[in-house]
Amino acid sequence: MASKLEPRGAGAAPSPRIRAGGGHVLLGYMWKYKALYFISLPGLFYFLLFKYVPLMGSVIAFQDFNLFTGITGSKWVGLKHFERMFSHYDFINILKNTLLLGIYDILFAFTAPIILALLLNEVRLMLYKKIIQTIMYAPHFLSWVIVSGIFVGILSPESGVLNVVLGWFGIDPIYFLGDDSYIRSVLVGSGLWRDVGWGTIIYLAALAGINPDLYEAAEIDGAGRWKQTLSITIPALLPVITILFLLKIGDFLDYGFERVFVFQNPLNIRNSEILDTYIYKAGLKQLQFSYATAIGVFKSVVGLFLLLIANTLSKKATGESLY
Amino acid sequence: MTKFMTRAGILLTTFAMLVACSGNNGGSSNTGTTTEKPSSTNAGVEKPKEPVKFSISMRTLNVAYVEKHPNINDDKYVKKLEEMTNADLDIRLIPHNEYQDKMVQMFATNDIPDVVQGSGGISGPELAGAVENGVFLPLNDLLKEHGQDLLNFIPQEAWDRMTDSKSGNIYGIPEVLSNPSRRATWIRTDLLKKVGKEIPTTVEETLDVLRAFKAAGVEQPFAGRQNFKYADTFFGSYDVFGYLNQFKLFPDGQVKPSFFDTENMKKAIETYKTMYDEGLISKEFATIESTDFRSNVTSGKAGMWSMNANELPIWGAQLKNNVPDAEVALIPSPVGTDGKGGYAHYNPVTRSFYINAAAKDKAADIVKFFNWMVSEQAELFFSFGIEGDDYKVEGGEAKFEVPTDTEGTDKLRYLNGWLWMIQDTTYNKRVSSLSESGKQMIDAFDNMLSKEGRSAIEFDPRLEALVQNPDLNPKSDEMPPLILEQVLRIVYGKDSIDSYDKVLEEYLSKGGADIIKEATERYNNKENAFE
Repeated sequence: MASKLEPRGAGAAPSPRIRAGGGHVLLGYMWKYKALYFISLPGLFYFLLFKYVPLMGSVIAFQDFNLFTGITGSKWVGLKHFERMFSHYDFINILKNTLLLGIYDILFAFTAPIILALLLNEVRLMLYKKIIQTIMYAPHFLSWVIVSGIFVGILSPESGVLNVVLGWFGIDPIYFLGDDSYIRSVLVGSGLWRDVGWGTIIYLAALAGINPDLYEAAEIDGAGRWKQTLSITIPALLPVITILFLLKIGDFLDYGFERVFVFQNPLNIRNSEILDTYIYKAGLKQLQFSYATAIGVFKSVVGLFLLLIANTLSKKATGESLY
Repeated sequence: MTKFMTRAGILLTTFAMLVACSGNNGGSSNTGTTTEKPSSTNAGVEKPKEPVKFSISMRTLNVAYVEKHPNINDDKYVKKLEEMTNADLDIRLIPHNEYQDKMVQMFATNDIPDVVQGSGGISGPELAGAVENGVFLPLNDLLKEHGQDLLNFIPQEAWDRMTDSKSGNIYGIPEVLSNPSRRATWIRTDLLKKVGKEIPTTVEETLDVLRAFKAAGVEQPFAGRQNFKYADTFFGSYDVFGYLNQFKLFPDGQVKPSFFDTENMKKAIETYKTMYDEGLISKEFATIESTDFRSNVTSGKAGMWSMNANELPIWGAQLKNNVPDAEVALIPSPVGTDGKGGYAHYNPVTRSFYINAAAKDKAADIVKFFNWMVSEQAELFFSFGIEGDDYKVEGGEAKFEVPTDTEGTDKLRYLNGWLWMIQDTTYNKRVSSLSESGKQMIDAFDNMLSKEGRSAIEFDPRLEALVQNPDLNPKSDEMPPLILEQVLRIVYGKDSIDSYDKVLEEYLSKGGADIIKEATERYNNKENAFE
């Protein structure tokens, strides 16, 4: 994304000249556009300070980190913590849960906002559209603790709305949160409810940017609404979808700690324990900082590889890519 | 190009240094300023000595008065305390629910106040190994010189928890709980009368009473809660808690968690299963959290439950507000096969205060501050408040009205239980003896609870094997996740009762064997094992 924001003049044009002339030409250009470089400084510092400096802390994954002696005083232990992670009896199950939730999240939580945006785009009554949109954004601003409180209430087997409705059809109350087999649906569903409206914002912005002439021309050619959606709207959205999809892939294993933790209990833990919650319980709560970091590093490396693969594939297939 | 690179390099290194230094600076400058600056609150005319100024970190403990206060350091009771002790406190609050995380952060950034409040022994997880790493001052000599009252007041078993058994150094000043049997079984006596039953004593009689409650339309005859927290009454009847302080010496000579007593454990699980099947406990107790639990009880939905006995005046009053006919009493907990019952005993230390090694020069004055906490004057102040404002003195005797509104009870809770740092926290003698429910509570503590409850072997610092296996690591009032999960599955009818044997095998194969080995060795060597 950052490359897109760079001024065209500074980025695109000078490149052939640098190759020909060498370093001092670049410096010359930097001097010429010094104001732009100056403006970019705070951003650069931000990334250095808050993204790259903390990254160095990851070395404690290869140490037995002691809080009081610090990074310099702790013993180096090589891959010990990674070995411990891979040999953990529950590791396969935790990884499986993380992957499954990630896949469901892409299948449902990623596609839902696209569909919703397309549907909203077809609504003719402006006031109605705005009201629906606002109602759907609203849950995004609730914290997960509150979302879980609402869902615990709705799904309660004794007083929950959902079980009352099921009762009308003669179905016995189901203890949704007390069952391994429902927990993934609850997790994905609650995420969908909370963030689907928020997710449509970028798509709606992209939709607003489509040239109305295209629709007019299509109409004159006799294309109906459905044909227009397929041939104009979706192709116009594709670049945005690709970019967001690639970003999502990078976070594939980061399903999020809080949203899962607030729904966990011993009756559903077999299907709801993911890497993030395991890091919290095994690492942070037991003060095993190095172990927690090792799992975190593993997660990031997997995420990076997935991103690289997806980006290459996408570049080949659609021509769209992050870089 | 090279010039640019060097410049960038210089920039980077400066930044790295800035980042690296900022952490340490924060800590040292803090301790630096606190020693120097004279306080402005006290005009040092009649008092020849400058008040000792020190910072102290304290957990908010969910005390509403503290959490709602805009700045606790400006509170009139804190000011009064400072005036009485010639001290100048800088209290730093640590949120109750993020206590461990914030404490670890505090140690990691080296921003450690002069006095740190811990909760329990010297190797609790919230201290993150600070004692072993020499962050705190050994207090033996200081206590001998300035803390004679503390040494007399606090029992030896509490000092033992503050002592490193290898060096004999005392590291903390403990707030104590003289009666470790803190939780009690509560019952609605009005309902009992309504169904025509006697106070039950055994598990079977209790189940009969619960069935009668159910028949009489009580929604939740027994109030259940997530992870059996405050709902572990029947595990106590059979003595199979298996919590952090519930290791037992088994006939085979091994020290194991008490849930290895399979016969009794199965009886306890079956009791809960019966209750679940017959609807004597909420069908969704596995997701009922503390706030719902409280509202279930105080709104009159429950017939019987477990709660800290010292809550009797407060919960009792709230219940009566909502259900005017309600009568509640603390009763002896149901007994199991060995004729005993009750809840897991608490650690004799509830809070502990450690002095930063960097605050060495004011340590003597800080010890004096804590020494004052056990004086007569302190007891009066922390029980009632400020003379004139909160109570009157008539004929040489303090006259105090026990508040009944939320604001008043919140304030009392703050004074009695939070700001009073060193005391016996079992109950507040002065306040409790003024009300009917208070007297009832004192009676329950002194004559009933002191005779019940389950105490067993505890290791502090905890077993290394437990730290390595979070799945097998119990909490102070929860079973280890692995066992808890299986027990709940059996109660909810997802697995048969026989699967309990299998989960014990699983426990052993997943690292439990190491736990038992280490526990047995440490017990036999008397290495930081408490009974």
